Amino acid sequence: MGGFDFSNHSRNIALHAKGVPLPQATSTGTTIVGCLFDGGVVIAADTRATSGPIVADKNCQKLHYIAPQIWCAGAGTAADTEFTTALVSSNLELHALSTGRKPRVVTCMTMLKQHLFRYQGHIGAYLVVAGCDPTGSHLFTVHAHGSTDKLPYVTMGSGSLAAMSVFESKWKGQLTRDEAVKLCSEAILAGIFNDLGSGSNVDVCVITPEKATLLRNYIQPNQREPKMRNYRFEKGTTAVLSEKVITREDISKYVTVHELGEDGAAGTGEKMEVDT
Amino acid sequence: MDSLVAQYSQPAYASEGYSQDEQQELSEVTPPLSLKFALPPVAQPSAWLRAMTDDYSNPNCPIKIAHGTTTLAFRFQGGIIVCTDSRATAGSWIASQTVKKVIEINNCLLGTMAGGAADCQYWLAYLGMQCRLHELRHKRRISVAAASKILANLVYSYKGMGLSMGTMCAGVTPQEGPALYYIDSDGTRLAGNLFCVGSGQTFAYGVLDAEYRYDLTEQEALDLGRRSILAAMHRDAYSGGSINLYHVKEDGWVKHGFSDMNPIFWDTKLTKGEFSNVVTSMD
Amino acid sequence: MASIIHMGREDPGYSFSAAPTAASANREHSFYPYVPNPSPLPSNSPRYTDNGGSTLGIAGATFTIMAGDTRSTSGYSINTRYAPKLFLIGGTGTEHKSARIVLSVVGFAADGHALAERLDTIVKMYKYQHGKDMSVAACAQRLSHILYGKRFFPYYVQALLGGIDEKGAGALYSYDPVGSYEREQCKAAGAAASLITPFLDNQVNYKNQYVPGSGSGLDLQARQAVPLPQQHVETLVRDAFSSAVERHIEVGDGLQMMTITVDGIQEVLIPLKQD
Repeated sequence: MGGFDFSNHSRNIALHAKGVPLPQATSTGTTIVGCLFDGGVVIAADTRATSGPIVADKNCQKLHYIAPQIWCAGAGTAADTEFTTALVSSNLELHALSTGRKPRVVTCMTMLKQHLFRYQGHIGAYLVVAGCDPTGSHLFTVHAHGSTDKLPYVTMGSGSLAAMSVFESKWKGQLTRDEAVKLCSEAILAGIFNDLGSGSNVDVCVITPEKATLLRNYIQPNQREPKMRNYRFEKGTTAVLSEKVITREDISKYVTVHELGEDGAAGTGEKMEVDT
Repeated sequence: MDSLVAQYSQPAYASEGYSQDEQQELSEVTPPLSLKFALPPVAQPSAWLRAMTDDYSNPNCPIKIAHGTTTLAFRFQGGIIVCTDSRATAGSWIASQTVKKVIEINNCLLGTMAGGAADCQYWLAYLGMQCRLHELRHKRRISVAAASKILANLVYSYKGMGLSMGTMCAGVTPQEGPALYYIDSDGTRLAGNLFCVGSGQTFAYGVLDAEYRYDLTEQEALDLGRRSILAAMHRDAYSGGSINLYHVKEDGWVKHGFSDMNPIFWDTKLTKGEFSNVVTSMD
Repeated sequence: MASIIHMGREDPGYSFSAAPTAASANREHSFYPYVPNPSPLPSNSPRYTDNGGSTLGIAGATFTIMAGDTRSTSGYSINTRYAPKLFLIGGTGTEHKSARIVLSVVGFAADGHALAERLDTIVKMYKYQHGKDMSVAACAQRLSHILYGKRFFPYYVQALLGGIDEKGAGALYSYDPVGSYEREQCKAAGAAASLITPFLDNQVNYKNQYVPGSGSGLDLQARQAVPLPQQHVETLVRDAFSSAVERHIEVGDGLQMMTITVDGIQEVLIPLKQD
């Protein structure tokens, strides 16, 4: 049996009558863009992650690796973009190994849309897929429900309107690499300053048939000014009810202890802001 | 024309003092219902108000009104003890830790505040005004029974409009002795020996009922009031801050401090050995 | 009785009208905007818009500092980068000369403006009728009554009123939307109140700070709060806002700061981040 399933139609009418609103189209708190140029493709993103009105991460990375020459900018639910791209990246690698060829951008896009369609929008991943393969340079958008577009310049996320206004006024055909990078960053900056869901820095990824270059924090227009006061507390300011010291010898009975060097291999995380 | 002439030809002294209407308004015990208050342009103002302000039925309501929380008052041979916490919450947010929930209506009448902070503050201040007018009209102090009835009648006239109050009126008068009344926004008015009101009321009742006697000494009564509120502040998340303690006697009320609960809690634990459920060591 | 008293939430027994509607709930680190609960009311009933932003007031020994950011938002959009939230009350002429009282309002901007204009008119009328300036204490109580007058159709605002009291000390009053009020040393209101208040508690009232070496265990003495000098308070206010901007999307663009002393009101505008 083919065709559509209308068995929920009467139920949905009844639910709607009881006051359950129709599923709402959710906009995404982010700005991501992509643009083709002569000899490659550029994608860019802002670096703000929000949870409600609170900034959860000031410098997160929304550009995800899929294959050496395929990258993806993600908006929507952070965990969904992260895991969807990682899953497709993994499957694409297996596909490349079994065929013995470089993966194609269309293949990646098809895998994404089929995965997302299966979950009917419950996986909230909104993606801009870009890359170079033996058939040329490609740029796609993939929506959470599974629809896709193929366009020379694209924007997504809550800052998409701000970013698109830049493309619509400044885009032209046959861009050079530098022009494309500049145009994409300008579009992201429009999102950063005019959309509350977007902010902080601009990340750019330039993909050419030869290589992909990630320009992390390509522009940093929102550096924090230094604080006016010093908030270091004198030792002994915090009240202590009781003290117990667990020595390294004690704890190593239960777990393996690694020494953390000043700038050792374990120091991969970003440095935290500390008052001095 | 005659009326116009009359209007402009009356002697200057006639416009002094209060007009007939103003006098009428002043001698009215309760204000005319709803005339003073702006109402939303909808068919059901109270339903609209509830949707906008009642964070209990709608946690996402846009306006969060500050609420009061644990209060207690009890009668004993030496007068009345009134004790409250000082926390105001708006939803799950602590709006203030320094609220004065005992409202000094005049120098011998006290009111307490639970429910909507603004409702209690406004109407108890209004009650203070009415009590003063009563004194001026009748040349003697108002009884606690009468004062509490003014408030009860007032809130009853606003019933269903969305007022939220749980208040106690405490006072000592020569004719009544120590008198204590509970009034809430449903219109309930009860006389009694002992009341606890607010989200922490059960915790306070637990301590108060166990130790309460009418013949408590003054010091015992003060300590019991403080300890009951402390129990409520310790267990109820919507109560906390400082302990506000009053003693109402025949010649007026006496304030026994507005003190931070934290040192009192630790003192109770360490010197009296209570609250042994709270551990201070990691062993 | 229980119905009137504020208590903890009950378990979410879902009914049709309260059932979760979004495909995915508000997840941590999601990029989704927060969608308010669908209202059961008809669509033509009055609604409030939250225009975001934050305000802050700190009273000192001889001054009061009032501050607010100048961004106005609705949803994810910026309405304007300069919409003052601070209003001079009771001054003369368009410049509001001789004003010694400042009202700050955050919440629904239209209600805030209406409130400020109403209070300003009342304070002016008081001056014309009595031939003297209204005291802050009187003005504070009047504001409470104005707010309570709309108890059943509230002004959607959190107001702060700052000035100098009759003894020359800094005075600050804070209000809830229906007029419950209280005099305080410092208060933050609005979107970033939950970010700024803990900072103020610690740095102005020295909450959770103890005097090092003053004892051990429970004998340790709490650090006593003292009135802070003006320069110190100014830097605290600027740090509070530059930090709020970092973590709250509705706060930014500019910081409007007014210092009220017996000699007058000094206003400064300091740029904040615009992202």
